[in-house]
Amino acid sequence: MIAFENLTKIYNVKGVKKVILDNASYRFENRKNVALMGHNGAGKSTMMRMIAGIELPTSGRVRRTEKVSWPMGFARGFNGTMTGVENVRFVSRIYGCHTESVLEQVQEFAELGSSLDLPIQTYSSGMKARLAFGLSLAISFECYLIDEVTAVGDRRFKSKSKRALKDKIKDARVVMISHSEKTIKDYCDCGVFAYGSKLYHYDDINELLRDYRKFC
Amino acid sequence: MFYAIWLQIRVVAALTLRETRMTFGTSHSGYFWAIFQPIFSVTFLMTLFYLIGRQSPFGQSLALYFATAVLTLELYNKLSASLMRAFTSNKSLLSYPMIKEPDTLLARLCLIGCTFVVINVVFYTGLYAMGLGQIPAHPERVIFAFLTTCLLGFGVGSVNAILYQKNKAWQHIEKIFARPLFFLSGVFYIPSSMPPEAVAIIKWNPILHVVEWNREGFYSNYRSDVLNIAYPLGLGAALVIVALFAERITRKQRV
Repeated sequence: MIAFENLTKIYNVKGVKKVILDNASYRFENRKNVALMGHNGAGKSTMMRMIAGIELPTSGRVRRTEKVSWPMGFARGFNGTMTGVENVRFVSRIYGCHTESVLEQVQEFAELGSSLDLPIQTYSSGMKARLAFGLSLAISFECYLIDEVTAVGDRRFKSKSKRALKDKIKDARVVMISHSEKTIKDYCDCGVFAYGSKLYHYDDINELLRDYRKFC
Repeated sequence: MFYAIWLQIRVVAALTLRETRMTFGTSHSGYFWAIFQPIFSVTFLMTLFYLIGRQSPFGQSLALYFATAVLTLELYNKLSASLMRAFTSNKSLLSYPMIKEPDTLLARLCLIGCTFVVINVVFYTGLYAMGLGQIPAHPERVIFAFLTTCLLGFGVGSVNAILYQKNKAWQHIEKIFARPLFFLSGVFYIPSSMPPEAVAIIKWNPILHVVEWNREGFYSNYRSDVLNIAYPLGLGAALVIVALFAERITRKQRV
């Protein structure tokens, strides 16, 4: 279960006040794949970071009873001077996974070959994305937070990650941010629309997309 | 509850391994230098003082008297300086939900603490082998002094980390306080035999107390009039509490 309870999030940067959420309550329906949509700067990524537990709300609380991934998509948690292997080992250690079996899965999925033994700073952005995606798939989560990442890598890798993700959501679910209507339709069962510091629920994806087109 | 403790141990262990890799590099010689670099610099200073014919203020061995202070001071300096940058250089780690800022502090404490255990063992064993050292008369005092130094270093380092993150200028201000410690920590003199006016000032230096504690542990007949165990322990604990509170209270504003 993931739920926002009377959640307020206000950013105050350099005197500019920005209200992301204003006393919003929302329950991400159990086992459903949820689309999170809104215009640029509506705070979708911030909400995702709050779901993950990386960022704290200004007031209110986030309830979380399932094992939630870190927001996938940007390989921010990697250390550039450490090799791919070392980064993978580190992440599996903090999640309490068996390091070598995670490593094996990442090796198989990301197809980086011997580059895995090189420092991350030598990687291209596509290679980093492969590693990040492979790693988050190798660690089993109950809920994957996906921030615009189904479109990384070349064509072959894209279809491979699509298959892998489809396979994963048989027994896990996703909360997904995307501006691509096709991707949303592909993965999500229901959705939430962030607008004017409030959250609106949609049982029907087509209605969500209609309002998204109207307001964004 | 048990899960939370297990998670904490797991995270700090993984972070410590990562820190080890970051500070020492990939090669095994990195570990060698991390341990021998402070040993060489202390040895160099000591050789210098032997050459100019300095007598040991206490006991036969100038080296031992010198080491009991300098190694303690090194541990403290290393902790307070390295923890200062723990938040700023570990920002990317905070994208993993279970890693919080205090974990990065604990990881550095573990790494530096362990490194200095090795450094101390190697150094004092070396001194003993050369006939310049001795087996501590009260090993438990030596151990307590070491742990208290860690506590002080952790407290000051954590406060440094918070202030440094708020304002980068703190690194320069902190140096003003850290520099005179070498002269205020009884490296070359016996604090108890200083004039009372001088003692009234240097006794406010918490490092002096752990140095004195350490010496009471090494020498069977060293009696310090200055030493007050409660001062470094209380100050260290208070700083840790203040730092952790401040970290938690300001966490919301920081991201």
